[in-house]
This record gives sequence, C-alpha cells and structure tokens, in this order.
Amino acid sequence: MTSFSGLASLPVLRSDLVIRYHVLTDAQLNTAVAAGRMGPGPVGNYVVSVGYQIGGYPGAAAGWLAMITPAFVIIVLLRFVGRRAEHPRVRGMIRAITLAGAGLLLAAAVPLAREAIHGPLPFVIASASLLLSLLTKIDSIWVVLGAALAGLLAFYL
Amino acid sequence: MPRASLRDMSLVFLRIGNTTLGGGDPTIAALQRELIRRGWITQEQFALAFALARITPGTNMLAFSAAAGWYIFGLAGALGAVLAVTIPSSLLVVWLTGIYGAGTQIRWLGAVVASTIAAALGIMIAAALTLIRSQIIANNRWVIPLLIAGGAFGLRFVGLTPLEIIALAGVAGLFWRP
Repeated sequence: MTSFSGLASLPVLRSDLVIRYHVLTDAQLNTAVAAGRMGPGPVGNYVVSVGYQIGGYPGAAAGWLAMITPAFVIIVLLRFVGRRAEHPRVRGMIRAITLAGAGLLLAAAVPLAREAIHGPLPFVIASASLLLSLLTKIDSIWVVLGAALAGLLAFYL
Repeated sequence: MPRASLRDMSLVFLRIGNTTLGGGDPTIAALQRELIRRGWITQEQFALAFALARITPGTNMLAFSAAAGWYIFGLAGALGAVLAVTIPSSLLVVWLTGIYGAGTQIRWLGAVVASTIAAALGIMIAAALTLIRSQIIANNRWVIPLLIAGGAFGLRFVGLTPLEIIALAGVAGLFWRP
C-alpha cells in the first residue's frame, strides 16, 4: 500500500483496476466508496468492497488482507521510537506531532460537520455527544446508540 | 496499570471499531476515550501511537489499533485489535456493496447514519480537546496554539497533506525543549 490515509489510495487503484486492467468500472468504484463511507470503521474499508466486486468473497478477503497488512508496520516504528522516548529531542517531536495531530482532527471535523449537520437535530446530537464525552465517563457506545435512536425517532415522528 | 484480558480488550475494539461511523478519525477518537478511561494505555502512549499511525502506510486507524493493541498485549494484542476492528465491518461493507449495487434506498437507515455521524463529530472534537489538554505544560503555552493552528490551517487552506504537516511538526519539535 502506497497511501497514508483513507481514500489516498483511490487514484492509484483507479488507474490500475479501471484504466489499465478493466476489471472494475467507475460506477463500481463509486459504489465501493459509498459502502466504505456508509459502514462503520475506516473509510479504507472500500478496498474490501472493490475486492468483492472483482472476485466475490475470495476477492473481498484479498482486499481485507491488503488493507490490514501495512498496519503492523507501526510495531516496528513503536519499538524504534520507544527505545529513544526519553531523549529530549524525541520528546519534543512527539509533543509537536501530537498537537499537530489534534489540529488535523479539528480540521477533519469541518467536512464531517458540513456533511452531518443539516438542521437542528444533528446539531443538538453533536453538541450533546461533545459534552457527554468531555464531562462524563459514559461509554462511547451509548452516545452512538442514543444518537441512532434519536435519528430513528425523529424519522418516524 | 490495570491488566485487561485479551478477550476484554478485543471486545472494546470490536464494539467501538464497528459502531463508530464517519471514518477512521472519529473511531480513533472513541477508542482513545475508551482505552484511556479503562487505564489500559496512558495519554502518552496514545499520543505516540496516534502520531506514528499518521506516518504508517495504509489505513491510519488500523495502524493505531495495532499500536494500541501492542501496548496492551504485545503481538497478540495487535492482531486481536486489528481483527476485531476489521472483520465485522468488512462483512458489513460487502453487504452494503450488495445493497448499493442493486440501487436500493433504505430511508430510515439514512436518518440513523446521519445521527450517528453527528455523534461521532462530537466525540471527535472532544478527543482533539483532550489531546490538547494532555500536552499543556506550564512554560511553553505559546507554542501550542501555534502548532494546532498550523496543523488545521495547513490542511484546509494551504493544501498540505496530513503527512507533510506531521513531518513539519516533527522537525519543529526537534527544536522545542519542553
């Protein structure tokens, strides 16, 4: 895997599978992205959908393997950095990267908000889950399930 | 630090990894909350796992899960975490592919998805704030808003990739003595 996040591998996959090998259409690729976004977990899940559309369940398994394998590279990095974690320069680096990462999280919240916040209900849900997460020790799954229930109720009422 | 059993740990990854909608970042945010709340990883370990996950090829969220699992249970933990997070959600994606491919629309599902994404948004902002709070130290406060703002604005307005921002922050951190 040559990419570093979510959909970054999309152009590479498209040029290989759609343009070069003709095993996938653009419409199928769009379906894969939609399915990956709709489901829980990483957006990178769309690779599983691509595999499934090309080769059925074995294809899905191949996509899944391709998706999870690079993750284990991090253990090598952790061992390497971990041994040097007490060094002041390394500490400064980790601190700076963490804060930049927090900035990235906040930046990622903007498109997500644009997509999710339509009308008062999603706004109330987002604010409530922010406050619950910050101020209480409630398990996150209840926040998510509560939101799902609120959405369902609002849909039928 | 309280020891978890491999089963308990995998169950947390299973629940959070397969119920948080909106992509990898909100999922990492929810995992951060659950793992730290239980005392399984420290705020510092989380920060390191989070930072390194950004520079690991492939899906950040899976790299993060592998790192967190490794801290808790070594190699078995890493494997357990990644399997717990990916297997159910992958099966779900295959199922969703079938639905989308057939052009079916399920309207109530749309309402539920929109609400849970809104919830994930709140959890994610809370996670960013917690992350910032964990790094606040007495004498270097001015650097903090600078780095956060740099990260956020670099991504949105200058068009830097997350990887470039992390690299820049890393270089800046070399010269930052807390």
